[in-house]
Amino acid sequence: MNSHSVLNRTLLTIAGLVLLGGGLLVLTGGLDLYRRWGLAPPAGWPLTSPHDTLLPAHDRTRWTGEDWWWPTVIAALAILIALALWWLLAQLRHRHPGRLPVGNPPVDGVGLYDGALSDALAADTARLPGVNEARTRLIGHARQPHATFDVTLDPDARPRDVHHALESTVQRARQSTGWEHLPARATLRVASHRPHRAE
Amino acid sequence: MTHQNPAVSDPDPESATAQGGPPESSPAGTPAAHTEPGRTASRWWSERRVPAAILAFVILAACGFMLFDVVRVRTGHTAAAWRKTLADELATRPIDDPWVITGAAVAAALGLWLIILALTPGCWHLLPMAAPDNADTPQAVLDRDGAARLLRDTALRVPGVSHADIRVRRRRINARAQITFRDLETVRTEVTEALTAQLDTLGLAQVPRLTVRARRRP
Repeated sequence: MNSHSVLNRTLLTIAGLVLLGGGLLVLTGGLDLYRRWGLAPPAGWPLTSPHDTLLPAHDRTRWTGEDWWWPTVIAALAILIALALWWLLAQLRHRHPGRLPVGNPPVDGVGLYDGALSDALAADTARLPGVNEARTRLIGHARQPHATFDVTLDPDARPRDVHHALESTVQRARQSTGWEHLPARATLRVASHRPHRAE
Repeated sequence: MTHQNPAVSDPDPESATAQGGPPESSPAGTPAAHTEPGRTASRWWSERRVPAAILAFVILAACGFMLFDVVRVRTGHTAAAWRKTLADELATRPIDDPWVITGAAVAAALGLWLIILALTPGCWHLLPMAAPDNADTPQAVLDRDGAARLLRDTALRVPGVSHADIRVRRRRINARAQITFRDLETVRTEVTEALTAQLDTLGLAQVPRLTVRARRRP
């Protein structure tokens, strides 16, 4: 799991817990389960009686007279908006490494753009037997880029052979850039086609 | 360029000395269970971009409307109708009202769903492929539909099969073939052999159990 996945999953868990907890709190109060099941909620527990309301007017206006209340509300909303916007934008783009070092040890002043390398990888992959179409992307930091292959196979391809052939592609990329490692992941699909019997 | 220094200084030495093993132990974007040299393929974990984007958008929209109206009221306008209605409903509707109960149930279900999304791997349509013990070979997955298409064509190549329906699941594959001519049992055996051979060429990490059923076309 990468850090992006961890972040998304953590925030989803938090949101899920808030929704689940809030929903259960209202349900327990609204269906009067405390009384029916003989439960004693702790002192100060909200929404214990079915006649309570979610946000009584005196709760809503409790601090509205104070000087600090509205600036605080506005600041809190603005921060939430900024965080939500940042989180949303993070879903829409991948982190690309940009300019990559070349050579071992890296040569000063020489850089390789990720797009050039991924184009070369894709062209190299598309030439492999059994490959119908290949798309490649480099993601991650410039210090530790990794490649993702999205490969569409011909109807008569052997996925295991293509998988093993990808080794040579990664190896060539590694040799031509002088890197010791290029972690890669590949997703193999099969071009959709009508059923056919011919070998 | 700000990123030039770290970029030039250490891509190789660091990853080489820090890892020593295969590059799959890179922290930047690979699944967790790949640190041993004799590595076993595990399920991929989805990044959950779509639910995260939806949730972020909902939060953004809700906070945006709220902030807009709060600022409007601060600058001397009257509050929007929706906000007055909302405040009024929240203050007067008791929590045993059917609407409130329904809303709470929906919220709880949604919360449970989000937690399930967060804690399960996802990527259910991708079958992990067996990883050879070689650092340069990518970790690979094969799309389920793709596997089903390849197996369908294999079944159709057996003489006598007119129609094949292949369902690929994580642990099992159900194949149903319609036979137009030849002996039913012979064809079934041949389909099973052909599919088993083809299953081998898929190179999956965990080969699903194959069940073949054949019936004569009416």
